[in-house]
Amino acid sequence: MADCKEFLEAMGNKIHKTIDKKGRLYFEVNNDDLHEVVKFLFHKMGCRLSTATATEMYHGIEVLYHFSHDATGQYYCPRVVMTNLQKPVMNSITPIIRGAEWIEREMAEFWGIEFIGHPRPERLLSKDHPQGLDKPLRFRRMS
Amino acid sequence: MNSNTIPVGPFHPLLEEAEYFNLVVDGETVVGIDLDIGWMHRGHEFISEQKTFTQSIYLVERICGICSSSHPIACVHAIEDVDNIEIPLRARYIRTLVGELERIHSHLLWMGLAGHFIGYDTLWMWAWKYREPVLQMFEIISGNRNHYGMMRVGGVAKDVDAEKIAGLLEILDMVEKKMAMLAGAANDDPVIKSRLKGVGVLKHDDAVNFCAVGPTSRASGIPADIRKSEDIDAYSLVDFNVIVMQNGDVYDKLVLRVLETLESIKICRQCLQKLKEVKGPIVNNVKEISPGEGIGRYEAPRGEVFHYVRTDGSNRPIRHKVRAPSYVNIPTYAASCVGIPIADALITTAAVDPCYCCTERSLRVYDNKREPMQIDLLKLSREKTERIRRDIYGR
Repeated sequence: MADCKEFLEAMGNKIHKTIDKKGRLYFEVNNDDLHEVVKFLFHKMGCRLSTATATEMYHGIEVLYHFSHDATGQYYCPRVVMTNLQKPVMNSITPIIRGAEWIEREMAEFWGIEFIGHPRPERLLSKDHPQGLDKPLRFRRMS
Repeated sequence: MNSNTIPVGPFHPLLEEAEYFNLVVDGETVVGIDLDIGWMHRGHEFISEQKTFTQSIYLVERICGICSSSHPIACVHAIEDVDNIEIPLRARYIRTLVGELERIHSHLLWMGLAGHFIGYDTLWMWAWKYREPVLQMFEIISGNRNHYGMMRVGGVAKDVDAEKIAGLLEILDMVEKKMAMLAGAANDDPVIKSRLKGVGVLKHDDAVNFCAVGPTSRASGIPADIRKSEDIDAYSLVDFNVIVMQNGDVYDKLVLRVLETLESIKICRQCLQKLKEVKGPIVNNVKEISPGEGIGRYEAPRGEVFHYVRTDGSNRPIRHKVRAPSYVNIPTYAASCVGIPIADALITTAAVDPCYCCTERSLRVYDNKREPMQIDLLKLSREKTERIRRDIYGR
């Protein structure tokens, strides 16, 4: 896992709460550091973005990106936690990776997350819906 | 620029699935494409979070009728990844066998459709005819031609009995001979080459940037295959090659799928031989799943299927994320469709095997005066093939 070691050495001060288990590295990253971490993973290490998962937890909304390093089979999963449940905001990575466009639009639609810098911040699945859906579709604790 | 918009979909009696995209054309050339999805969103992730782990496997099997073992395999991988559960050797071979048989029948299905789209109806009928024995193999193994119900956390649900193996190998030999014939027909035909070479090119950089997967990315020179990069099932125990092409056009995607099918047959034969020798259980008894998170993936015929499961120690996931390969491959249309003639739009969109088939049947075009008119992409595509055929053979 030379690449994993290289990543930890380069980004060690930007990642927190690391969980390393059998080819999967989960870690938290501050929203301000997200772009730097993603650029390192995508441009320098040649990782591919598989997808991203948003989850509603007690402490806030988590967005977990899944980067696959196909040469080694290792997964790198940066996690951004947003504690402001009323207005979850984070940086978009679509300007860095075009393949993130759809999944970020979907997460915005389902969890009401605002992705700053997204080139096309419109609904993906329920655009022009006859019922005019205007609330996050899967967010349970919205007041 | 004097452009018109051609909306395709979303609903038509001839469409097998609901899809919708707008082709922006300038004369005969496609200059843009806008995709609009969400017409058949079924809420599988949400439903899965109300089900037990075992029920979730059956649920995700029904996401797709063609790759109905890829999703369950990725799902059980994700659940097993939470606790690093090992599965018995015999179950590893059975999982690999089922997954590869699915690749064979999926690629044959695609080849048939591709042949139909470019006016080669003989290829269509042959490919679908020789897909039938593969479905019969599934029936022999699992009792079902589709939705096999084979996967379990910790192994597989059904064994492959020793007395069935000889019959399965016989069918496999027959399919291999027919595949070699199809490969020869596709390779030797100058019309197919002229029709598909250089059409709908997805450049290497675009494939990287769109995070494309499967044959779509491998045809553009990206040697990514989950079966090699991750130690899953029995793939590290069998001999096979990852097929990679360089040009990224439709012809390369066709050749890649033909060669992949032959590799899959090779893998299936090795698995069946091993199942004669390897004895033992087919499932480990898994009683509970710890709190945690797990990632499972599988190289489906269309590319990487990704499942993420988060658990809290109960018998159901609190979050289950599913990402099918078409979700990342369909956006590549924005790179591969721009600049091509409209007669090539159909085969270019079909080349990623996007899980919707009959987009070409009937659609409405608005001309400059906003007058509606009908156009048929299938007809345009087949007419272009006919023109090439006449140029080559002079009749």
